[in-house]
Amino acid sequence: MSALILISVLAVLVLYLGLYNKKSWLAPLGILGLAGAIVLFATGWHIPHHLLAGMLEFDRFSIGFSIGMAAITLLIFLFGPDYYTRMQQHVAEQYALMLFSLVGGFLLSSYTNMLMLFLGIEILSIPLYVLAGAKKNSLRSTEASLKYFLLGSFATAFLLMGIALLYGLAGSFDLGVISAHIAGAGSSDLVLNFALFFVVTGLAFKVGAVPFHFWVPDVYQGAPTLVTTFMATVVKMAAFAGFYRFIDITGMPDALARIMVLLVLATLLVGNVAALRQTNFKRLMAYSSVAHSGFLLLALLTDTGPGSTVGATLLYYTFTYSLATAGLFVLFTIAKRANNGAEHNGIFQGLFAAKPWLALCGLAMFLSLAGIPLTAGFIAKYQVFLLAIGAGWLKVMGFGVLMALLGIYYYIMVARELFVPAEHPTTFVVTPLNGLVISACAIGVLLLGLWPALMAW
Amino acid sequence: MELLALILIPFLAATALLAFRPAAAAARGLALTSTLLTLAFALWLWYTWTGVAVTGISHDWVPAWGMRFKLGYSGIGLLMILLTGVLFPFIIGTGYKQPTGDPALVNSMLLFSQAALFGVFMAQNAFLFYIFFELSLIPIFFLLLFWGGEHKRAITIRFFLYTLLGGLALLFSIAYVTLQTPLPHSADFSALAALELPMSTQYWLFWTMFLAFAIKMPIFPFHSWQPETYVMAPTQGTMVLSAVMGKMGIYGVVLFLFTIVPEGALHWTNLVLVISLFGALYAAVIAFRQDDFKRLVAYSSMSHMGLMCAALFTWNAYGISGGLYQTFAHGVLMVCLFYIVGMMYQRVGTNDLSAMGGLKTRMPRMALLFMLVVGNAISMPLTQSFVGEWLMFNGLWQLDHWMAVAGVVLIVLGAIYMLYAYQRVLLGPDRQLEVADADDEEHFFLVPLIAITFVVGVFPNIVLHLVDGPVQQLLNSFTSLP
Repeated sequence: MSALILISVLAVLVLYLGLYNKKSWLAPLGILGLAGAIVLFATGWHIPHHLLAGMLEFDRFSIGFSIGMAAITLLIFLFGPDYYTRMQQHVAEQYALMLFSLVGGFLLSSYTNMLMLFLGIEILSIPLYVLAGAKKNSLRSTEASLKYFLLGSFATAFLLMGIALLYGLAGSFDLGVISAHIAGAGSSDLVLNFALFFVVTGLAFKVGAVPFHFWVPDVYQGAPTLVTTFMATVVKMAAFAGFYRFIDITGMPDALARIMVLLVLATLLVGNVAALRQTNFKRLMAYSSVAHSGFLLLALLTDTGPGSTVGATLLYYTFTYSLATAGLFVLFTIAKRANNGAEHNGIFQGLFAAKPWLALCGLAMFLSLAGIPLTAGFIAKYQVFLLAIGAGWLKVMGFGVLMALLGIYYYIMVARELFVPAEHPTTFVVTPLNGLVISACAIGVLLLGLWPALMAW
Repeated sequence: MELLALILIPFLAATALLAFRPAAAAARGLALTSTLLTLAFALWLWYTWTGVAVTGISHDWVPAWGMRFKLGYSGIGLLMILLTGVLFPFIIGTGYKQPTGDPALVNSMLLFSQAALFGVFMAQNAFLFYIFFELSLIPIFFLLLFWGGEHKRAITIRFFLYTLLGGLALLFSIAYVTLQTPLPHSADFSALAALELPMSTQYWLFWTMFLAFAIKMPIFPFHSWQPETYVMAPTQGTMVLSAVMGKMGIYGVVLFLFTIVPEGALHWTNLVLVISLFGALYAAVIAFRQDDFKRLVAYSSMSHMGLMCAALFTWNAYGISGGLYQTFAHGVLMVCLFYIVGMMYQRVGTNDLSAMGGLKTRMPRMALLFMLVVGNAISMPLTQSFVGEWLMFNGLWQLDHWMAVAGVVLIVLGAIYMLYAYQRVLLGPDRQLEVADADDEEHFFLVPLIAITFVVGVFPNIVLHLVDGPVQQLLNSFTSLP
């Protein structure tokens, strides 16, 4: 509770600082607050507790996710001062909106009541609609914002419809009651199946599952890079945390499993195949995000109810994915500046010659996204393999393996650019703080790959 | 401790090369020193071999998924360790006379892959095996991608995807069999070998595993990446691929298929025998028709690998020991042949056989060295290959006379294309090509390898005694099958 309040108050405080034009205070204050929130969450680690009359439950899963999201936000804030150097106005709003969005993420990872799910999704999303359009003068940014907003509200409508149906059936928003009702109902209960379908649709939109993925590439490309980073990491973690909490209650009835299998197959296929042809780095990362959603959905598919290890797998997967993605986006910004704002994959050329350490860090992060052994991404994918095989989804897993192969191809092709000599002289300007963020992400990815037990609970 | 040293020495040397990027001489010196050190360790392991499998290190890694950091070796593993240890100093040494790119980076990549290869041959946990199996690929991938020849990008990508496909299929199999072990799960080979999987499972599991090894070796019809890759790769890369990495396939077949899915392997024996022998014949015929020297050697390598794979599936002591013994002979042979290809390329400026010829009088020493190497290639008595081929041939004969006939045809074809190649390079009318004879450095490289060929050929037990025990153990476990 205290962490939730801390972050909310922090966001308001940051807004006020903006009023007084204290730009240089924003990031340090935000970082301090986030560190405080992490500590507060960590102190509650062994004591699962309920809040707001049992509508929120902070167990190990939600605390783990909350700490993960706060940590990634912290990394993004470390990158903030450099990213916003040239921007004089409305910087405070951006930090504050991200913090508000983070609060939504906390709710999503801990709700036990459908109302809180809805609140969480809205608190998470509404700041993002604004953030995506933060570059007011850029057409792409405005387009991203509008597209995200329209499709997002459409998906929310689905979610609401599903929640309403569930309420009508079970007579309560409480997940426990709903769970009991589902256990009692047969698998042929059409209304129930529709209710589940609608809720899953709303959530699938948030995680960027195919066929609800159309916003992902445009929004990732159009939004300012810092916001894209936030969306690709923290928002993804939050969305999957929310998804998991819902699936953990409903279990996996046959009707739902059928839909989920289709989602998994389509997401894996479209995400990976589309990523093959991307030349714009941000679009590549967008499709890679869709592709990773496919693997995460596969993990969800194996969830047969409480007591499974799916939650731990999701946390490990999303967190390590976020680490690699955040680090790569920072690296991308550095390379983009060195190439006068170009965004194609070739901007990484010459990095190894100029900054060998950063290039190796970048390689580690690409390999992690690709799932090459000794990186965290490999362990994450392997966990999904184990879950899927254990649950008997052998053929789906076989398809996943083929798609993972495609994934390795496109990441490796970009990673290759790091080592290709630049065609024309480029100077990469790296502030110490940015170097720190990149190194932290790369080392984190390797460390978690070597000792996965660091994140076990 | 020696086991960890085998992995750490090349790894640290490679890291140092990558971090400090010393000048050419220092880089080569460091790389050579490190490989000589690992050779010393490998020889020490060989010298102290008592016939009992050794487990050096065993640490929990992620117990929940059966991952253990467990290193050790059996006789077969030791043979592979010895192979890697013996050949890498020569592979690094190739860089002195036939340099590729920036010596610091190239040697660093080679050493990284050596570290991973040692890991592969020492891993006693299937998961660990897989990790090293994939890691050995990455440095080679970069080696080919940056220092390859024509069309390097497309060819490297194809090679990479091919091998990764096999790797992922293997990972899938490992995950599956690990989950079949009783709780707490274990991916140790000892635990996996104790599994008695149902027949229906073994049938498909055999293929998901075999795919990885068939691509690595490679055997027909999983070979299409091989000739292009071998030709395009820089000489050192080709040496690592053909002499050592291909052997991971042979090793994997014995380690995985024969212990985890023996009934599946037994069931598919005939099919595997037929495709590998057919592939071997097919490659031999193609080799004969090649005009490109390097491609000819590449096809000859494929032909030999096919025969070795067939020999493993004969299910008798002759065949299996012969196949394993031949890995060593073949490794030495490939390093020699590709070195000679490189020498000729440097002198004539092309790999085209029709551009060579009549060089014997201009390079008599070279002609002698090449003749001795060819002797090994065509299994002349007293050479290593003679022992290996004889054992394999015997194994095939015991299994089926027609298979043995195929084996004989293969040996004859091998002699034909190798001698024909020799003829086209060195004999015939003098073409007035101004070429230098083999110099001291090249003698320094080839003579020790040729010496190994003959010493191990005359005293095959030096190597053969390593595999006797394990092969007998394997055969005993087969006879106890229902």
